[in-house]
Formats: sequence, C-alpha cells, structure tokens
Amino acid sequence: MTARPAPARRLPAAGALPGDVGMWVFVLGDMVIFGAYFVIFMVYRAHEQGSFLAAQRHLSLASGALNTLLLLASSRFVALAVAVARAGDYRRARRLIGGGGLCGCGFLLVKAHEWYALVSAGLTVQRDNFFMFYYAFTGVHLFHVLAGLIVLVIMAAELRRPAGGRSWLVEAGAIYWHLVDLLWIILFALLYLMR
Amino acid sequence: MTAAPPAAQAGAVARRGSGRRLRDAWICWWVFPPFYTLFGIIFVPLTRVMPPPGPAKTTAQIVVFFQAHALTIQVGFAILMLAIGGGSVVNGLVAYQIRRMTVDPVFCYAYIATLAVGAIPGCLFCAFSFLAATFRPDRDPHLIALCYDMGLLTFVGSLGCFATQYLIFAVAIFLDRNKIFPAWLGYVSIWQVVTELLAAPVFIFRGGPFAWNGAISFWEGTALFGVYIACLIMASRKALQRQPPGEVIAE
Repeated sequence: MTARPAPARRLPAAGALPGDVGMWVFVLGDMVIFGAYFVIFMVYRAHEQGSFLAAQRHLSLASGALNTLLLLASSRFVALAVAVARAGDYRRARRLIGGGGLCGCGFLLVKAHEWYALVSAGLTVQRDNFFMFYYAFTGVHLFHVLAGLIVLVIMAAELRRPAGGRSWLVEAGAIYWHLVDLLWIILFALLYLMR
Repeated sequence: MTAAPPAAQAGAVARRGSGRRLRDAWICWWVFPPFYTLFGIIFVPLTRVMPPPGPAKTTAQIVVFFQAHALTIQVGFAILMLAIGGGSVVNGLVAYQIRRMTVDPVFCYAYIATLAVGAIPGCLFCAFSFLAATFRPDRDPHLIALCYDMGLLTFVGSLGCFATQYLIFAVAIFLDRNKIFPAWLGYVSIWQVVTELLAAPVFIFRGGPFAWNGAISFWEGTALFGVYIACLIMASRKALQRQPPGEVIAE
C-alpha cells in the first residue's frame, strides 16, 4: 500500500451505532407513531376511496415533487457534512449544513405557498376527510421540519467548537434530519401519489 | 435559638437533615403509582370520561348518558376532589429532580406553572361540567348537552396546555450535565408534544380520527401518555436511588 493521508480522526468503530441511543429511541418511536397514523389513514381511505381520489386531484403534484427533491437534497448535504466532519474539515461541514438548512427553508416556503393556494381555492381542513388528514399530517410534519432547522443550527454551533465539538451530537442531529426526510417521502407517496 | 452550634455539630445536622430529605422524597414517590391508578379508576369505569363518549350523540342520547351514570359520575368526581392534590405531590417530585439538574431553576418554576395551568381545563373543568349536568337531571336537555360538550372539549382539547410542559422537561433533560434523567426520557417527552399537536383538531370535528373520541386525537395520544407515565415513574425511582443522601442543592 502506498502512504495514505493520516486516518480520519473520528471514524466510528465498525458496527458502532452513530449518534446516541436516545436519538434512536426517539426516531424509531416517532416512526411507530407515524406508522399508526398511516394505518388509520389507510383504513379511512379504504372506506371512502372514491372521495379520497377525487380530493387528491386538487393537490399540486409539482409542489409535492419539488418538496421531495428539496428534502432529498438537504439530506444529502447533511450526510456529506457528517462525513466531512469525521474527516476533520469542520468549516466545510458547517457550510454543508447551511446548504441543508437552506433546502429546509425552501421546503417551508413551498409548503406555505401550497397551503395558501389550497385555502384560497376553498379546500380547507373541513372540506372532507382527505383534507382533514392532509392538513393534520403535513402540519405535524412541518413541526418536525421546524424542529429540524433548530437541530441544524445546534449542529453548526457544535462544529464551531474546538476540534468540532461532540461528534455524537452532530451525528444524532443528522439522524433526526433523515427522519424528517423519510417521513416526507412516505407522506408524499400516501397523499399525492397513491391511486 | 441562642449561640450557633459548633461546626462539626452543624455538619451532623445537615447530614441528618438531608438523609431525612431523601426519605421524604421516597414518600412522595410512593404517591406516584397509586395516584395514577386511582386517576384511571375515576376517569375510566366511574365517570366514563375515558374513553370519551362521542361528540355525535343527540341531545336525547346525552340526557340518557347522564341518567345512566349519574351516581358513578358524582362518586368518582367527589373522590377526585379529595385526591387531586396527589397530582401536585407527584409533579412536585419531578420539579424537585429538575431543581437538582445543572439547568437554571427557571425550568423548575416553568414546569410547575405549566402544570398548574393545565390542571384546570385538563381535569377540574370537566369534573364540574359533568357534576353540574348530573346535579339537576330535570334541567333543560339542551343545557345538559352544553355541559357535556364543555366537559369533553376541555378534557381532550386542553391537551395542548401540556405541550409546553413536555418541551420544558425535555430541554431540561438535554441540557442537564448531572444526568438526573436519561436522555431517552427527554425524547419520550417530545413524543407527547407530537401527539398533542394532533389533539388540537378536536374543536373542529364531530366524527372521525380527529374528533375528541377519535383514533388519533384520543386513542393514540392516551396510549402514549400511558407509556410516558410508566417511563416517568421508573426514571424518578432510578433518580432517587442514585441520589447521594448528603447532596446539597445550590439555592
């Protein structure tokens, strides 16, 4: 083997759990909570499939797809930030987290525009069961995005500390952000795509 | 009191005092499981508030509901009036543990204050609405229906009052360097915030998953609340077991 650059300082041991156990408890539990929501949604949908399909046509597929791309891109930024931080380049890691945060803010703007357009067209939460689920689920997800933006700020602040701060904290934040992304992908499929 | 005691004696007093403090805290902990058991007995079989009867009931059905359960509602809520203070002991124990954390005492005060705000709509208002409805069964049925709506809307709809409390508790756990409570309890606390966000729509819907007896607004939130209380009871026990008897909390 030729000489390689000094090994990355903080590569976790093979098989080690990134982040901390508490965050995994949270993420898996949150997925169970949302899983129950999705099952309840499917039960209602099975009972009134026609009206759900009719209501679904009012959603803007372009907005949903744009938001999916924004969150996927932000997840990519955050994943790269963790990799770069492990290699010791904290400044670049912070910039990448900033990129992830910008995508997250873009998501908020697209969502706000989408809600505004729907409400202006008279498609409010009281219109039918589909929109009841739509606003409730996207609302709770939006709360997750807002919390995620705070988490990204905490991650960036931690990376500003000497030697990049606590690596588990940065990893735990990234795990949470991926959860936000994953939940949206399921929501996008359930609310926008499923025929 | 006359002259101040010698230093050694003062130390002995402080030690004995703190040892007693731990015993006092254990007495409070033992209020925890029986209080929530009693709470369950009052709200589930006696007063029939949980699981909540539906918002779609007609006025006549509501009158029949109160006629059928008048006595158990009155007995159950009378017991609640006697036992409600147990909640303060339980919450006081958690507040005391927050006081032992490295976080600013403002978290402890905010925790107590948010619970004090939540107890009125979350528990007492419902009790008095139901008691008023059963007090004069010959009252105008529409007024009885009003009591029914007020009682159940406040009971399930007030869950949001507790969202801040859960958030304060979670942030205190995350910031605490003494590790009084494990980090996962903070995350379990955050789940409560998530489920309570979805209890907010009860004011809009009279049927379906977001009504006050709905699968999401009531059932899922209540199931998670049960998990949370079980975790809190276990974590407070662990915190007391790990607490050194001579510990002095900075005032």
